[in-house]
Amino acid sequence: MSAGNEQSRQWFEDLAHSGQVDLPSEKLGWLDDARQQARQAINTLPVPYRKQEEWRYTSIDGLLKQNFQPVNDPFTALQSVDLEDWLLPEMDCYRLVFANGRCVPHLSETSELPDGVRVGSLRAALTTDPDLLATWFGQTANHSQHLFTALNTVLINDGVFIHVDSNVKLDKPIEVLYLSLALEDAVVAHPRNLVVMEPGSEATLIERFVSTGQSVYFNNNLSEIILNESATLIHHRVQDESSQAYHLSNLFLSQQKQSRYRGTALALGGAWARTEYKVKFLDEEAECRLNGLYTVGEKQLTDFHLDIDHAKPHCASEENFRGILYGKGRAVFDGRILVAKDAQKSDAHLHNANLMLTRNAEVDTKPQLEIYADDVKCSHGTSVGQLEPEQIYYMRARGIETAMAQKMLCLGFADEIIDTIEIEPLRQHVHERLHNALDRVVSEQLQAEEVA
Amino acid sequence: MLSIKNLHVSIEDKPILNGLNLEIGTGEVHAIMGPNGSGKSTLSYVLSGREGYEVTEGQILYEGEDLLELETEERAHKGIFLAMQYPVELPGVNNMVFLKESLNAIRRARGEEELDSVKFMQLVKEKAKMVKLDEKLLKRSVNAGFSGGEKKRNEILQMALLEPKLALLDETDSGLDIDALRIVAEGVNALRSPERSVVLVTHYQRLLDYIQPDHVHVLSEGRIVRSGGKELAHELEEKGYSWLKEGAAA
Amino acid sequence: MTATPNTVDELIDRGYEHGFITDIESDTFPPGLNEDVIRALSAKKNEPEWMLEWRLKAYRHWLTLEQPSWAHLNYPPIDYQSISYYSAPKKAGDGPQSLDEVDPELIDTYNKLGIPLEEQMALAGVAVDAVFDSVSVATTFREKLSEAGVIFCSMSEAVQDYPELVRQYLGSVVPHTDNFFACMNAAVFSDGTFVYIPKGVRCPMELSTYFRINEANTGQFERTLVVAEEASYVSYLEGCTAPMRDENQLHAAVVELVAMDDAKIKYSTVQNWYPGNAEGKGGIYNFVTKRGDCRGERSHISWTQVETGSAITWKYPSCILRGDDSTGEFYSVAVARGRQQADTGTKMIHLGRNTKSTIVSKGISAGHGQNAYRGLVRMTPKAENARNHTQCDSLLIGDTSGAHTYPYIEVRNPTAKMEHEATTSKISEDQLFYCRQRGLTEEDAVSMIVNGFCKEVFNELPMEFAVEAQKLLNVTLEGAVG
Repeated sequence: MSAGNEQSRQWFEDLAHSGQVDLPSEKLGWLDDARQQARQAINTLPVPYRKQEEWRYTSIDGLLKQNFQPVNDPFTALQSVDLEDWLLPEMDCYRLVFANGRCVPHLSETSELPDGVRVGSLRAALTTDPDLLATWFGQTANHSQHLFTALNTVLINDGVFIHVDSNVKLDKPIEVLYLSLALEDAVVAHPRNLVVMEPGSEATLIERFVSTGQSVYFNNNLSEIILNESATLIHHRVQDESSQAYHLSNLFLSQQKQSRYRGTALALGGAWARTEYKVKFLDEEAECRLNGLYTVGEKQLTDFHLDIDHAKPHCASEENFRGILYGKGRAVFDGRILVAKDAQKSDAHLHNANLMLTRNAEVDTKPQLEIYADDVKCSHGTSVGQLEPEQIYYMRARGIETAMAQKMLCLGFADEIIDTIEIEPLRQHVHERLHNALDRVVSEQLQAEEVA
Repeated sequence: MLSIKNLHVSIEDKPILNGLNLEIGTGEVHAIMGPNGSGKSTLSYVLSGREGYEVTEGQILYEGEDLLELETEERAHKGIFLAMQYPVELPGVNNMVFLKESLNAIRRARGEEELDSVKFMQLVKEKAKMVKLDEKLLKRSVNAGFSGGEKKRNEILQMALLEPKLALLDETDSGLDIDALRIVAEGVNALRSPERSVVLVTHYQRLLDYIQPDHVHVLSEGRIVRSGGKELAHELEEKGYSWLKEGAAA
Repeated sequence: MTATPNTVDELIDRGYEHGFITDIESDTFPPGLNEDVIRALSAKKNEPEWMLEWRLKAYRHWLTLEQPSWAHLNYPPIDYQSISYYSAPKKAGDGPQSLDEVDPELIDTYNKLGIPLEEQMALAGVAVDAVFDSVSVATTFREKLSEAGVIFCSMSEAVQDYPELVRQYLGSVVPHTDNFFACMNAAVFSDGTFVYIPKGVRCPMELSTYFRINEANTGQFERTLVVAEEASYVSYLEGCTAPMRDENQLHAAVVELVAMDDAKIKYSTVQNWYPGNAEGKGGIYNFVTKRGDCRGERSHISWTQVETGSAITWKYPSCILRGDDSTGEFYSVAVARGRQQADTGTKMIHLGRNTKSTIVSKGISAGHGQNAYRGLVRMTPKAENARNHTQCDSLLIGDTSGAHTYPYIEVRNPTAKMEHEATTSKISEDQLFYCRQRGLTEEDAVSMIVNGFCKEVFNELPMEFAVEAQKLLNVTLEGAVG
């Protein structure tokens, strides 16, 4: 390992020591053990760099230049924030609000939860439901997958805890709003989430990441999601961080027999954003469908890693990701489907399409299949292209301006993903968000073309 | 020609045929009718030797020989032909090459001389004309991207080419419009001969308007519940299959 | 498969040599690699000083490299010091004296492939004094080629006779620093082929290493260089469908192609080296670096490969699409059965405007075979209107094999367009039943389906080669089902 890498390790070690963990609980052995292991892993795990296959196209140099500070009291700064600005109109849901990684109970809405449903902060659950946590914590996540997950584990301070009892079907979605407050320091948060769906339960979870200003911060998020037999989770994530922000999400999903996961992953903001999904089928007939959309513009990097492990036969997975790139935007898509030996009748499809609007954009895509069983239906496809001049011409011939035509075509491209969101206020919100972004992009691009 | 005695067949331990008896003489045309799930397709597949169909009891004699002892292709060599309800697609395998391979394999087994390309071409073109199959389809991959009617005509073309002794037509009429049905029926009729037996497996009576059977059998719950002449088909058409069940219950 | 396995292994253990070259008295270096060995090798070949220096430079660089480990391959470490780096052909008489002494199963395979008797002898290493037809044919062809101004000779001859050309182009596509195996090849390459097609010349015939059958033992560290000057055309065939015996387990060849303006190079390979026995012992390790440089505008390089042999195949024939409007193609059929492992694919580097590339890869996995496609498509910022289409299909036969796809796609230009599709299928029970119902045997059915699967690639081979390749595939896959 080079000297440069050892300096990089120092960054992780410093960060691991800087956090002041002040959990309210009694001593919990399992938590201490997990932390202890993670602390050791920070000394031994390889530092991510570009010669490693999983970091081939994504450099963490920008991150390493920052000197992130922990925030232990986000509540003072929160006083000047009007939550209404960040809520979606007509959104009827249960809600948890986090400010810089800490749950804010007085802004949250969980009073009318049905019986058998726990939605709250992980911090509180350490006191109220230690047994449930002890049962499920760390069941799906490898705390030491890489240095960032180890860091998250060492610095567990708060996060989302959701537990839905057997056969309980939630009437309304649960929304988790991660608010990053614009502070003077570059701050870091390590939200740690645990979602447990007991057999036959059903729920919809929305996670939104937003910020109150264009400041520098780092969200190092880790979620464990457990779907027991025949459980269903619909899960929409909207990453709309500040344009200066660093965002890393590690999602670990384990799926039992006949469980269903349907997810949407939208990546719109952030300067450097990476999301890793690790899905493992633990029993037969489980199903995972994941749709994704990313837009990357000026100096943004968005990176998606999907790892779908068909460890058991008769499971189905389908991932469909689309990206719109402009400015100096960079996108990385690294999808991998693994079909284990004897995982017959696996049905696995991976698709990634990219639309490049401008000259300096860059896309690196790597859809992989690794198949050790023969009676399977597997495919992957990838494409990179731009708007078809014939289409634009046709629309213009019908009286539509170029900018509008471009925008319509982009939205049409994105709609295939967005339309899978069945919650009207959320779909509406994403639509508008994209509309505005494209307005800016298209007009800037046209101006640039005129100058040229 | 074909003698089926007390045939019991299961698929994955689930009994489908339960003591079926059937005698088919040389040159006869038999229609086997029955509602969905009565075991019609199973009978066709067992006769042609498809795997996964377990004969638990009974026997099938074909020209005096134990048919169940024969491999699928041996049965084909000996003149059993199954026109399938859903002909399989073979991407990348040229139809012409496939037909030639098939024909020559059977000719070899019969001790006949293999056809060379020229003779084969002549033959295929003649037969294709008979079943009104677009010659272009001969150059494409087998059944890949064919319409339903094209696939069925391709099946009849193969039958015409291979000249089987016992032709089994499994729901050949399904998914065909009236013109396609007529073409297919004409093809079958042209192949009727005193040496060739035909078994038509069908849900509906309409195919029998075009191909007149000598005998009609009704299959229900895995056995033949009634046999008769072609008038039986009309009776069925009028009264429906439920009539039979009532009859059986009474 | 009925042919080859154990018995060929035994033949190899017996250690006889290719025996059909009688006129070269030579010796074999003791195993080991160091600068002295390279100096001795170079001296043996009477090479000029610059050639030796080039080899030494490569060797010194090689010492700094580590063997790559990123491929989906599993094999024991190779001891590079246990290999002899110079071993010219032995005298006749060491090998079997007639085909009667050769393993009947091998002969059976040859007969199935329809290989004429005298070629069988050559392939099986039987000592014969008679001059082969092919060799005399080669001599005639050589005269015809030199009339057209085409140079077609061994690399050793080229170093002596055309030093300027060799010096200009050698290592210009695959530099000695390129990768571990290419670097090693640069240091120790034994021999190979040199082809030069002058401006405007359409090479009057397919060139084939087959015509150079008398120059044996170039296989281990072979080096091939093909230069096609402006508006010239050449089609080059390499390899042989017959399972050629070779006692060298490690093969690390390098092929460099240079195409100038409007030049067209078509390079076809059929690789059928010994795959090892049923336990995977004794097969050839084939680590090959092949790269074509479309240096000129509108130049065209097309790679077609049928890879059925070797225990390990590590091979990525690539195109650097430098010239505007240049095109690159890669058509591949790779079979991994028994314990074979193949990690093969291509790289298409789009540098010029309007460059186009096509990739068609067909992987067949059977038995315990592991077949991986690994490919890179890179569209650089200057590659205006670049186009790529990639089709990557895997066919699995049996539930113990593996099929893997690792595409890397890097796009830096908004006017570029690329599409990649990959599918996985197996030979279905339905398809087999259907064919058998029509009177075909299971094996005929499998071979028809496999040939259908590979058709797009076979179509790219020169006609007689395509027929052979098809036969080869059938023989290779015999008994793979059931």
